[in-house]
Amino acid sequence: MSDRTIAAEGTGFTPPGPSDFEPPPFFTVAGLDVDKPIVVVLLSALIVGAFFYAASRRIAAGNGMVPGKLQYAGESAYGFVRNSIGLDTIGKEGLRFVPFLATLFFFIAINNLFGIIPPFQLPGTSKIAIPLGLAVIVWAIYNYLGIKRAGFFGYFKNMMFPPGIPWPVYILLAPIELLSNFLVRPVTLCLRLTLNMFAGHLVLVLFVLGGEYLLLEYGGIVGILSGTVSILGSIVMTFFEAFIQLLQAYVFTLLAALYIGGALVDEH
Amino acid sequence: MPPTSPDDESRDVGRKGEADAYGALGLVISGVLVWGGVGYLLTEWLDNRLFVLVGLLVGMGAGLYLVWFRYGRQS
Repeated sequence: MSDRTIAAEGTGFTPPGPSDFEPPPFFTVAGLDVDKPIVVVLLSALIVGAFFYAASRRIAAGNGMVPGKLQYAGESAYGFVRNSIGLDTIGKEGLRFVPFLATLFFFIAINNLFGIIPPFQLPGTSKIAIPLGLAVIVWAIYNYLGIKRAGFFGYFKNMMFPPGIPWPVYILLAPIELLSNFLVRPVTLCLRLTLNMFAGHLVLVLFVLGGEYLLLEYGGIVGILSGTVSILGSIVMTFFEAFIQLLQAYVFTLLAALYIGGALVDEH
Repeated sequence: MPPTSPDDESRDVGRKGEADAYGALGLVISGVLVWGGVGYLLTEWLDNRLFVLVGLLVGMGAGLYLVWFRYGRQS
């Protein structure tokens, strides 16, 4: 932060870049730098866990028949994932994956929303390690289910050789199917989320810092007018980001559900 | 797909549409990567740049064919 301010005073505006995603660590524990992304990720996990624990406490104790406010909120949140993702994309069989899908959705959503919550304002999912880890988990689950259902060779046979194509064409198509299912799926799952959060954060930083620079450093009638527009624009973009952040959490979970559902049925 | 009420159907199509869009994109990307990659290797090996061009086109064509095969036919 400080090097940017100095640069802005001296030589002009320094646009935001990848270095904005590597804030200095707060402190170091046993060689591990604890910085903002780590805190955000841990907090997200804690929030999701604590919320659903608190919301389901009375059900677990056996007297959840008359839901309180918290339980109602928890049930609505869980019900949304259950009905619009679990049931709609997988069907009845999807019900046993709803706990996983709900955890996935709310963990990602909270991580994303930290991008606009002060004083953090950095989405944990903008660090590629987090979506990558989640994508690997999803990848492992749907491959495991597929192999368990059709057997090792059956799974790859179903994947690479869809029926109804003359056999010479398989030479052309089978590698594509293999790559698409095995590599492109998890990679796009991970990159879509990471880069949406990355780009969204850059846009917000640019609107705010650019506005500040125009107002305070550039000055003049042009600077003040465009700076004001930029600062107001940052507020609009913040709401837009909130929408993107929830949408991306939904898309990630939806695709995870679809891949899991695809591994459970014959027709591909 | 069994006939359902108009509401159910449009909801299904919306959800399926989203998923199919990502699936189709993945197939085209994979096609270009696989056969473009093979073309690139052949180019490196035989020192003829035509291979990478043919590879890319074949990959794109095969990817698009798969998109049609998976999502485009009347079911």
